[in-house]
Amino acid sequence: MSEAFASVVLALADDELVLGHRHSEWTGWAPHIEEDVAFSSIAQDEIGHAGNLYTLIARRTETDADALALGRAKAHYRHATLCERPNRDWAYTLARHWMYDTADDVRLEALQGTADPELAALVTKMRREERYHLLHADAWLRRVSQGPVEGRTRLIEALHETFADAVGLFEPLEHEEMAVKEGWLPVPSDELRTRFMARASAALDELGLPTDIHTRVAEQAEFVASSSGDLIADDEPAAEGVTPDATAGGRAGRHTGDFDQLWDDMTFTYRNHPGATW
Amino acid sequence: MTTRTLESAVWEALAGVPDPEIPAVSVVDMGMVGDVDVHGDEVAVQILPTFTGCPAIPVIRADVIAAIEDVPGVARVAVDFSFDPPWTTDRITPDGRRKLKEFGLAPPTGEGPVLITNIGLPAFAVCPFCGSKDTINENAFGPTPCRALYYCKSCRNPFEQFKPV
Repeated sequence: MSEAFASVVLALADDELVLGHRHSEWTGWAPHIEEDVAFSSIAQDEIGHAGNLYTLIARRTETDADALALGRAKAHYRHATLCERPNRDWAYTLARHWMYDTADDVRLEALQGTADPELAALVTKMRREERYHLLHADAWLRRVSQGPVEGRTRLIEALHETFADAVGLFEPLEHEEMAVKEGWLPVPSDELRTRFMARASAALDELGLPTDIHTRVAEQAEFVASSSGDLIADDEPAAEGVTPDATAGGRAGRHTGDFDQLWDDMTFTYRNHPGATW
Repeated sequence: MTTRTLESAVWEALAGVPDPEIPAVSVVDMGMVGDVDVHGDEVAVQILPTFTGCPAIPVIRADVIAAIEDVPGVARVAVDFSFDPPWTTDRITPDGRRKLKEFGLAPPTGEGPVLITNIGLPAFAVCPFCGSKDTINENAFGPTPCRALYYCKSCRNPFEQFKPV
C-alpha cells in the first residue's frame, strides 16, 4: 500500500475518532436530553467512520484496526488540533461541530473522486450520514445566532477560536505531493482550505456573524473580513492564546496538552487489558 | 443440487436472518443482501451495512454465516461487507416497509429527508400507530444511528422513524 494513501486515510480517520470521542463526552451531560441523544449518535457515526477507515488500512497492511485506533503513541496520531480541544461550554461545542462538519463536507466531497475505489465508496456512504450532522450543526448555529445576546456573544467568541483552529484541518498531509500525484487526494489541501474558507465565511456572513479571524490566516487566504451583526461590535477581539502558530502541527503529529487527557481516557482500556474483546 | 436451486435455498436462508436491532425484518427485507454468488458448494455473500457505525454488523456476519452453513449442500461460506453500492433506504422492500410499520417504526419517507426550509429538520414522518402526517420531528437522531424521534400530534404518541439515507 502506498504511504501517501495511508496518510490521506489516517488523517481523516484520526479526525473522526478524536472528535467522535469529544462528542461522546456529552453522553449523560448535554444541556438538553435530545442533545444528549444527538451528540451520542453523532459520536457513534464518527467513530464508526473512523473504524471503517482504520479497517481499510489494516486489511492492506495486515495490522489490526484496534491497534491503529488505540495502540499508537500520541505523536503518531494525525488529527487536526480542532478535534482535540475540550468541549468547554455549549457554544464552543456547537461552533466546533459546525466548523468541523462544514470542513469535513468540503473534504469528503473532494475525496469522492479519489483514485481508490474502496475509499471512494466508503466516503460516498459517509456523506449520506454526515448530511444529518451538517443539518444539526446548521440548525443550532442559526438558532443561537438569532437568539438572546448572551448565547450569541458566546457563540461569536467560539467561532473566532474554532475558525482559526479549523484551518488546521487543511495543513498539508504527510506525503501530500505524492498523494495528489497518485490521485488519492484529488484536490490539494491548500485548495480545500480556500473552498472551506469561502463556504464558511459566506454562511456566517448570511447569519450576520463576524467572519474575521486571525489576521495571518486571513492574509494567507486573501480573505476579506465582513460585517458582524448589529448586536456585537465589529472589533470583537479573538480569544487569547489563539494564534495559527499555536494550532499548527496536528497533521505532523504535534498535539497540544489537550490531547494528553483525551488519549489517556480513550486508550485506557486498550492499554490495561491487551487483547480484550467486547 | 444445481447452482440455481442452491442459490435460491441460500436466499431463503437469508430471509430467515433477522436484523438484530429490528428483529421484525430480515436482512433481505432490509435490502442488505447486495449479492449472492454460488460456485459449486461455495457461497459468497455481499452484505451492505445500513449505517457505517452500526454495532450490529458483527452479529449480522455471524448470523448470516450460521444460516447459510445450515443449507444442505453448502461447504463454505464467505461474507463480505461492502459500501459499493451504498445501502440506501430505497433498498428496503415493500414487505420490509410494512413490517417496520407493524413493529412500530415509521418507514423512511421518500428518497431522503423532507426538510423544513431554513431549519433543515425532516418535516414529518407518518405515524405508525394512527397513520397521521400531523407529526413533529423532535430529534434528527435517536437511540440507534438509523432512527429519528417524532411525536404524533393526532394520537399523542412518541414514535421513531427509520431515517432516510
